[in-house]
Amino acid sequence: MHKPPDIRPPRSEIIEGLKASIPVVLSSMPFGLLFGAIAVKHGFTTFEAVFMSATIFAGASQMVGLELFGTTVAPWLIVLSIFAVNFRHVLYSAAVGRIFRPWGTARMALAFFLLVDPQFAETERRREHGLRVTWRWYAAMALPIYAFWIADTWVGASFGNLISDPHALGLDFVLPIYFLIMVMGFRQRKSFIPVVVSSGLASVIAEHVVGSPWHVSLGAAVGIAVAMAMPIPKEDASPAGGIE
Amino acid sequence: MTSIFWITIAGALATYATRAGGYLILSRFERIPRRVDRALNAVPAAVLTTLVAPSFLKGDWREALTLVLVGAAVTRLPGVAVFAGGWALIVGLRQLGG
Repeated sequence: MHKPPDIRPPRSEIIEGLKASIPVVLSSMPFGLLFGAIAVKHGFTTFEAVFMSATIFAGASQMVGLELFGTTVAPWLIVLSIFAVNFRHVLYSAAVGRIFRPWGTARMALAFFLLVDPQFAETERRREHGLRVTWRWYAAMALPIYAFWIADTWVGASFGNLISDPHALGLDFVLPIYFLIMVMGFRQRKSFIPVVVSSGLASVIAEHVVGSPWHVSLGAAVGIAVAMAMPIPKEDASPAGGIE
Repeated sequence: MTSIFWITIAGALATYATRAGGYLILSRFERIPRRVDRALNAVPAAVLTTLVAPSFLKGDWREALTLVLVGAAVTRLPGVAVFAGGWALIVGLRQLGG
């Protein structure tokens, strides 16, 4: 077999990707199980629950979808709610989409499908550390997350009735803990504190005034607006500044 | 096929549109303006914060204390360890009852 030359040994990239997937696989496990269990209690078949995890692949929006399926809410409104909860991904693909371009159209299309919150966060972190983001690394991280998400849903749907008290097991609180750790991973970035404080406050206010899930889009918009409004430091400003 | 099936398909297409859409819009630009670049730079912290902040207020002191300790610990310790510790902490605190 002829092997094309590569800058880094492919194996280490795969191992790094697999390592990055471990905390995500573990932390998303309770949600996959929980989603499967709740779905079945909402009248889904095991196939329908697994099918939803395999095609939408976005935990929070799947939970919102479940909640609305049980009601008389119109189908288009359920789809719109899923879209609203997932709207933040528009920002993710805008931020990292260029990295995918050299991989070719098919892999790029697949990479977008797999672009979940922690996948985006790790991709940004890796780039920040000056490491190359290759398809090998990306797939090695993303595919286990995807496979486990489907498997967790299936197990949850099959054995969901065994979980008697999800609150005592802290299952409702695993996601905030995980997201907070990811937030702190960006603390070296410019304007970190103003962004976190403003989007945090705005999301809390929006949740009370407008309600979930709009607090995600509105809170993030405020944090991003604050980042844009911050004065540009001297070393950051190029002589050509002001053209924009 | 059931309505659940078709709504799921539509939800999947809507989700995929969000995951590819940002790039498709942005790739029309030759160069990314600096303000836009700064905005994109702030995206992960801004979005992820909105997924955490409401949890601060929803629970009682147990949830708030757990988040404060997790936020402090992660500046010193690896994320996986802090995650496991935070999860154990909230389960332990809830065992206390009250």
